[in-house]
Amino acid sequence: MFAPPLAMHMANELLSVPVAGIMLALAAAVVAIAARLARPAAAGGHLPLMGVMGAFVFAAQMINFTLPGMPGASGHLGGGVLLAILLGPAAGIVAMAAILIVQCLLFQDGGLLALGCNVINLGVIPCLLGSWLYRVLLGPATSAAAWRQYLAAWVACVIGVTAGAAMVPVEAAFSGVLQAPLSQFLGVMVGVHLVIGLCEGAVTFSVVAYLRRVRPELLGLDPLDLAPTDSPAAAHRPGYGVVTVSLLVTAVLLAGVVCWFASTWPDGLEWSYLEHRYAAAEKAVYNESPLVAAVDRWQSQWSPMTDYTRREAPLGQLPIAGTIESTAAWPNFDGWRSVAGVLGTMVTLGILYGVSRRMQRTTQSV
Amino acid sequence: MHHHFIDRYAMGDSPIHRLDARAKLVAVLCYTVALISFNRYAVADLAPMAVLPLALLWFAGVPVWFGLRRVAILSPFILMLVLMSPIYDREPHAVAFGPWQYAVGGGWLTAADIAIKFALGVLALTAMMCSTRFALLLEAMRRLGMPQVVVLQLGFLYRYLFVLIDEAMRVRRARDFRGAVLAPVGRRLAAVGGVVGSLFVRTLDRSQRVHLAMSARGYRGEPHSLHRLRFAAVDMLFLMAVAAYLAACRWVYPRWF
Repeated sequence: MFAPPLAMHMANELLSVPVAGIMLALAAAVVAIAARLARPAAAGGHLPLMGVMGAFVFAAQMINFTLPGMPGASGHLGGGVLLAILLGPAAGIVAMAAILIVQCLLFQDGGLLALGCNVINLGVIPCLLGSWLYRVLLGPATSAAAWRQYLAAWVACVIGVTAGAAMVPVEAAFSGVLQAPLSQFLGVMVGVHLVIGLCEGAVTFSVVAYLRRVRPELLGLDPLDLAPTDSPAAAHRPGYGVVTVSLLVTAVLLAGVVCWFASTWPDGLEWSYLEHRYAAAEKAVYNESPLVAAVDRWQSQWSPMTDYTRREAPLGQLPIAGTIESTAAWPNFDGWRSVAGVLGTMVTLGILYGVSRRMQRTTQSV
Repeated sequence: MHHHFIDRYAMGDSPIHRLDARAKLVAVLCYTVALISFNRYAVADLAPMAVLPLALLWFAGVPVWFGLRRVAILSPFILMLVLMSPIYDREPHAVAFGPWQYAVGGGWLTAADIAIKFALGVLALTAMMCSTRFALLLEAMRRLGMPQVVVLQLGFLYRYLFVLIDEAMRVRRARDFRGAVLAPVGRRLAAVGGVVGSLFVRTLDRSQRVHLAMSARGYRGEPHSLHRLRFAAVDMLFLMAVAAYLAACRWVYPRWF
């Protein structure tokens, strides 16, 4: 059974309509420009290139790499940065846009409205930032040293992927749907995607190592230039030293992330304790042991039916104000409305279901 | 593995299948906009929004469990958001259903709201995809102004998706049979690099061959298709009905009921 690897594509629910619209327009503009830039390359012998490469990214995601020390977790290629490195940023953006549209439509991964955000986060930013970093770190492409090439690919991946993911909390915050503090969500997203980026970097790096050996011209290397410096034996396993170094860097980065979490998490806890509305109630019950008080507090916050909210007032009126501190938060709400709404919807659905069944039966009998 | 996995129902025939792809695309887009624009505490107002996706699925002859399974497969990430909400938003809100009335932390309402909106959004998208052939959808996108290059690449992506996935799965099986799982990290990484790299090279060559084959068959930059889109009166009627329904859900229902 084929299960598409679930990326953390943004869902519609993380966005407000204006933010989604702006991002959709922005993404459409960038993709249109990229399509125009990629067209000469496409016309010069490779028209199906970007689409078939999009299919390649799907297929490459099937080839997983079980992570050391993390049973069950496996890394695979995200693809954006690799395509940008190998085909150039414009073609990479068009291919990634095609991938994200297919993921949204065929696999329903990522919302229809969030498509703009997803194209920016997972396509445009990794492709542009990644290919720029790669080029800067690489220097002259025709005779790049092996270690430099790997390092460039790896750094481009890690930073490109993480920068794109860091946009998710920012977009959600602009939409006003973020309930957790921005810094905390940002910390989680950056932390998780740093790990994802490191895995993707490792895979990208090993692909680059393979291509350097097999088709150096794809990386812009001059094969004749390489021959005297890299003997075939040396070129055969060039990666191991760099793998060790990159794993070392991984450990350092992870340690940094863990430290960061350790420093932001208490803030988060403090925030949720201080900001909630039961500060007064907490003081009122603070005669028992702190354990009991804590249990009470949790119960009063979490149980959906606490005693003081049972309806005392006659039907159609709100309960007497004052039982809960803020009456402003109570919407003008009548219980029977929701009953009528739910019943009406169910009756409508029942009728529609009956009609559709009847239509199918008639078409089958004909 | 082939396209049957994803377009199991798209090749069928029903009143929904026969609608113009543009009408369905615009309708689902408008539906999603309306869905997202609801206040996140107004969970009860979402009830009538369930009508459109379910009705589309029923009339297209797609079993609802198929759509619900898509929702379940996709839910892990959204579940994280759902579970996060009650922790951060604890402002009490009144919830009433008939004679019963409770105070609930706002986070629980938001959680329910996110979950319902997500499920309905996925159901609507599933309904559209299960009642429209992808080629027709691409044609609709092109007519609605998507750049030609992007539409073309989408077509190629769709065409070669499962060809390449099959290839990758065969390679992966071969690798696993040879015990690559047990190798040390560096070797395993090198194996992945080799597999993905050779897949890349083969894909590059394949796209070159496809291009040559297309050129040989007289391709001059404009795709030709036997599919014809025709925006008939029924489609206009469908769009207007959807617009009226959405307006009623969004403005009339929350205010009058």
